[in-house]
Amino acid sequence: MSDVAISVENISKRYLIGDTSSGSLREVLTGFFSNQGSQKTEEFWALKDISFEVKRGEAIGIIGKNGAGKSTLLKVLSRITEPTTGRIEIDGRVSSLLEVGTGFHPELTGRENVFLNGTILGMSRDEIKAKFDEIVDFSGVEKFLDTPVKRYSSGMKVRLAFAVAAHLEPEILIVDEVLAVGDAEFQSKCLGKMRDVAGEGRTILFVSHNMGAVKSLCQRGIFLQQGKVAKTGTASEAVDYYLENAVELKGVFSLPLPSLESQLEKLGYATEITIENEQSEITSILPLAKPWQVRVKFTLLNHVSHFIIAIGIKTTDDTAIRTTWSKPQDLEPGDYEAVFRDDSVFLCSGVYKLAIGLSSRERSFQYFSEGAYIEFDDFVKKDTALRNNSGLILNQMSVNISQNVLS
Amino acid sequence: MPKTIIDANKSAFALDLKELLDYRDLFYTLAYRDFKVKYAQTFLGLAWAFIQPFMTLVVFALVFSRGLQIDTGDIPYTLFAACGLASWTYFSSVMGQAGSSIIGAQGMVQKIYFPRLVIPLSKAVVGLIDFSITLLVIVILMIFYQFAPSANIVFLPFFIVMAIIAALGVGIWLSALTIRYRDFQHIIPFLLRFGMFFTPVAYPAVLLIKRMPEWASIIYYLNPVAGIIDGFRWSILGSEPPGTLSYISFGVVILLFVSSLFYFKKVERIIADIV
Repeated sequence: MSDVAISVENISKRYLIGDTSSGSLREVLTGFFSNQGSQKTEEFWALKDISFEVKRGEAIGIIGKNGAGKSTLLKVLSRITEPTTGRIEIDGRVSSLLEVGTGFHPELTGRENVFLNGTILGMSRDEIKAKFDEIVDFSGVEKFLDTPVKRYSSGMKVRLAFAVAAHLEPEILIVDEVLAVGDAEFQSKCLGKMRDVAGEGRTILFVSHNMGAVKSLCQRGIFLQQGKVAKTGTASEAVDYYLENAVELKGVFSLPLPSLESQLEKLGYATEITIENEQSEITSILPLAKPWQVRVKFTLLNHVSHFIIAIGIKTTDDTAIRTTWSKPQDLEPGDYEAVFRDDSVFLCSGVYKLAIGLSSRERSFQYFSEGAYIEFDDFVKKDTALRNNSGLILNQMSVNISQNVLS
Repeated sequence: MPKTIIDANKSAFALDLKELLDYRDLFYTLAYRDFKVKYAQTFLGLAWAFIQPFMTLVVFALVFSRGLQIDTGDIPYTLFAACGLASWTYFSSVMGQAGSSIIGAQGMVQKIYFPRLVIPLSKAVVGLIDFSITLLVIVILMIFYQFAPSANIVFLPFFIVMAIIAALGVGIWLSALTIRYRDFQHIIPFLLRFGMFFTPVAYPAVLLIKRMPEWASIIYYLNPVAGIIDGFRWSILGSEPPGTLSYISFGVVILLFVSSLFYFKKVERIIADIV
């Protein structure tokens, strides 16, 4: 038995965009007669010449930005989709978890879904029977086993689904970070289980955005960029390389042009929002606890009296955090830009929504709240005080400690 | 230790039936799911599987036997129609469900690997439950009419297998075609509705054959179910044995089934990308 668990040679995956192939008969027929059927399609290489090896018992993290090809690579490795070129050899029983609860049917009971989901994941009925009590124990939903899953809370559903997945015993485990959605407790349960699996000497392939998890879980890392392997090395090397190279300048959001139908809308509109760091450089991810600014370009078509521009920051679940507005002033038609700079309130790491509002005499004529985001993160510093659990605002209050001396 | 090889250049003609066998538990589970879901939260539950064929037979008897005076010789009309209905209902339900099965399983197909053929195959298993209930209706009718089965009944399993193969052949073809061309989602119900008129379900095939030129009869028997229904009636009721024309029908069944497997295999490679 060789010590290589997965060997990937020159894998490429091509997608045709503009045409989904799941077309209509008419397209096929017209294509047949005019001989130019799918010329409007364009090629897109989601993966290009990927080669790597994973040794038995090794945990390897695959990192990269959205669209770098991580998920496609997982799909190819899990045999969900076939590569366009290349060859992969996998030695050992594989389970891939790109999602928990695949195939769960709402009408079936918890018990039936355990069997359904288990067999979909590749377990035999006997195997599931043998582990059934353990699975139920782990999920903590034994009271509701004979209730249809549609009556479960979403938390119960996820717990049951994860319990099934956790009892797979593959030699090779392929996991997507999508698995790690859900509340903090569930996430740590997922990661904990994966640590166990890694500890048992099984091979793990782990795709994630969570650099901390990759560093702590994996020995090796592969950094994908535009469908190619940009860096392989130890997990830390790959993560560091990612942080230096991948943070791309894409902090620009173009706003849709309003219809300009009503009298009010004809006053003007904002066109573009850019997110900038302390040095006024455009960026999509802002460093934690550093000043930053938002630049809003807007066009006024008419004279606007008592003009106010405001921005709001919300969490991704729409809890408003703050709103800031300009002093009212009268403006003539023309192109303008407003810069909002924040150097006093520091937000915790994470993604936030940005909202923009323009108003005249306290009547709003444009409001945009879906589609612009800012992200704060500091991958490099592993200072836990700056990370999630300390609340939305990082600024510290002043604290004085004095000793009470009894007189 | 199992070894998996994924090769972009592998032959498209390897059917890999062994792998299918490894996944047999999945297909029982899927069949169980469909069966369970079909009657979930219905008041009458499985009784529907009795009521439906029974009511259809009542309507058939009224229209075709009472109304149109169709002559079925010594065989009671209801029994005659029941044999046709059993095979047609099985065929049409499996074909209809298998046809849209892959589209209905999009979520699974995009998230996990298993031989995709399991999905349409499991539909044939579900159909068997309703099918056996319809057979039970036939038995009840035979007792009611005190009609003894013919000795040909030993051939019934053969025709049942043919019915399964016929339903699967068409079902697998349609499931693969539906993925590529969604138009088939509209074609399938159309086929099912018109198919029954061109199948000797409610009337004996001879009735049409003797009024049609030979070439038209041949086209009529290209219908995969036509021969099977003749076979059912022959083996259960001892009517006319399946004629030369029926063999055309059997040939079509085999051809459809084998070609469907290969076509499915070809489409399977791109299912997750285009579904």
